[in-house]
Amino acid sequence: MLKIEKLHAAIDGKEILKGLDLEVKAGEVHAIMGPNGAGKSTLGYVLGGRPEYEVTGGSATFRGEDLLDMEAHERAAAGLFLGFQYPVEIPGISNVQFLREALNSQRKARGEAPLSGAEFLKLARAQADALGMDQEMLKRPVNVGFSGGEKKRNEMVQMGILDPKFAILDETDSGLDIDALKAVGEGINRIMRKPDKGVLLITHYQRLLDYVEPDVVHVLADGRIVKSGGPELAVELEREGYGTVAA
Amino acid sequence: MTLDLPTKRQEAWKWSDMAALEAAAQSERAAPDVAPADLFLDIDGPRLAFVDGVFDPTHSRPGPVNVTAIGESSGHPLGKLAAGEGWLVRLEKGAAVTSIQIVHIGTGADNHVPARIELAEDATASLVETYAGTGWANRLTQISLARGARLMRSVRLLQKSGFVSIRDEADVGEAASLVSVFLGAGGMGSRIDGEIRTSGIGAYAEMGGALLTEGDQRQEAAVVVDHAMPEGSSRQIWRAVAADTSTASLAARVEVKRHAQQTDGEQSLRGLLLDRTAQVNLKPELEIFADDVKCAHGATVGELDQRALFYLESRGLTPARARALMTRAFVADALDRIGEEAVREAFAADASRWLEVAL
Ligand SMILES: Nc1ncnc2c1ncn2[C@@H]1O[C@H](COP(=O)(O)OP(=O)(O)O)[C@@H](O)[C@H]1O
Ligand SMILES: [Mg+2]
Repeated sequence: MLKIEKLHAAIDGKEILKGLDLEVKAGEVHAIMGPNGAGKSTLGYVLGGRPEYEVTGGSATFRGEDLLDMEAHERAAAGLFLGFQYPVEIPGISNVQFLREALNSQRKARGEAPLSGAEFLKLARAQADALGMDQEMLKRPVNVGFSGGEKKRNEMVQMGILDPKFAILDETDSGLDIDALKAVGEGINRIMRKPDKGVLLITHYQRLLDYVEPDVVHVLADGRIVKSGGPELAVELEREGYGTVAA
Repeated sequence: MTLDLPTKRQEAWKWSDMAALEAAAQSERAAPDVAPADLFLDIDGPRLAFVDGVFDPTHSRPGPVNVTAIGESSGHPLGKLAAGEGWLVRLEKGAAVTSIQIVHIGTGADNHVPARIELAEDATASLVETYAGTGWANRLTQISLARGARLMRSVRLLQKSGFVSIRDEADVGEAASLVSVFLGAGGMGSRIDGEIRTSGIGAYAEMGGALLTEGDQRQEAAVVVDHAMPEGSSRQIWRAVAADTSTASLAARVEVKRHAQQTDGEQSLRGLLLDRTAQVNLKPELEIFADDVKCAHGATVGELDQRALFYLESRGLTPARARALMTRAFVADALDRIGEEAVREAFAADASRWLEVAL
């Protein structure tokens, strides 16, 4: 579904990804763990199409198409979702306004009919309920004044509404208390655990993986995947740290 | 005609585009390319149309508004040129007229219309003015609000080209309220110039809006609010959005006289550059002679937040839509001051239309 080969990427002339290989097949959940500064968020941004990042080598194909050739909004319409480590606050634009326009813009790009205001609200409310987010927050400006946990829940509500084929979730588990962690974990399983979908979970901790069991765990260090294994690798990493395991 | 215009050497006119004003004044009249019916909003109330500054009775139903010679004049260099026939709204104690609409269509050359709005005690009025077409439209509007009177005024500058100069002179009495909101969303140059004096205890005065410029256009607003009596409050919320090589300028001044204790003044001037080649000038000024006052002011110029744009685009919005949404949100603070929903929505739609083209 997602195939990355020898990917090199730089920001401000500094190379961060240094020949990264990774393949996620349909129906799989992969976890990426690794020390701070390893390049995990960079990988997410590069796959999401953030313009400041320059791809200096390698390739990434998504469902058979050249991902790196698409603009960010085209990647979204193709079914890619990036859950942000730090969701952005946007004053003056309400969640519903933003998400309805986002969804209808994706649908238009795919040749599907737009959802009416009423249809959209029904969908948005159902997703907010499923993730335990207060419906009032749908009307509030995007992420403005939300706590860290509320922002992450909002990312999952957005994922539920947009119903992507592939999700890259960058530390969606950080800053969550135990109830929120459970809600987010269940959300990921409900929305994304499907035979035709895939997930790349970027995380620091084993704890989210107790809810969303990965098929493959990778260690990313210094811009490369240095080790891959089954779920037991995450347990090993948690116990022994990146230093020993990735060495 | 020969014009005796202010020059850039005068501090209050240093950002003005008098060359564009003169070019507009020297343009030839032609057939109008817009009709009054296209410009009136679908709301109840008196309607007046002026074409090249001349009252057009066939497209008007003035109701309580009088079309008459306006005697008073002004010392203002542009305002004083607006003399002769104009319009007058004079309301008796407690009277109310809502949504008086006035449209001004220019076809070329210059036109000058004076106006007076006099509201007696507790009278209420709302007014929507629209400028369209081309040429130089020059206006002087003198406003006096007696105790407890309320005026809501919304003015949109939608001329395709040419120049619009507006001079407001207002006197706001005890516990009276004046709210004026301007939107510059056409292709013309502009100068919105206002002087508001609070002459009674507890007066409320507000003058603000949004100027949107593109191409090599220049628009500016220059407003002075003078607090002469205690317990008054004022707000000046202005947003400037500039694209291409255009310039938008905002100068806002609050004066608090020695007797005007417990004045509450708010001034928020913000500029957004859509291109690095565009320019926004901001000049916030406070001159306070009373000691017990609360005056908040802020002035910032910036670009659209790249992180926010990527966030919106990563969810599927095209870059143009993401920029449009962010820019619309930026001007919303200023336009949301309009009290009447239909008018507020019309102004928001004008701003959106401008964005569709400019982005
Ligand atoms: N805008 C930037 N300019 C320069 N270096 C950056 C920038 N953003 C991130 N980096 C660097 O890239 C490296 C990888 O960062 P990141 O991908 O955020 O790591 P991780 O998510 O694994 O903690 C770090 O060394 C960081 O300092
Ligand atoms: Mg990170």
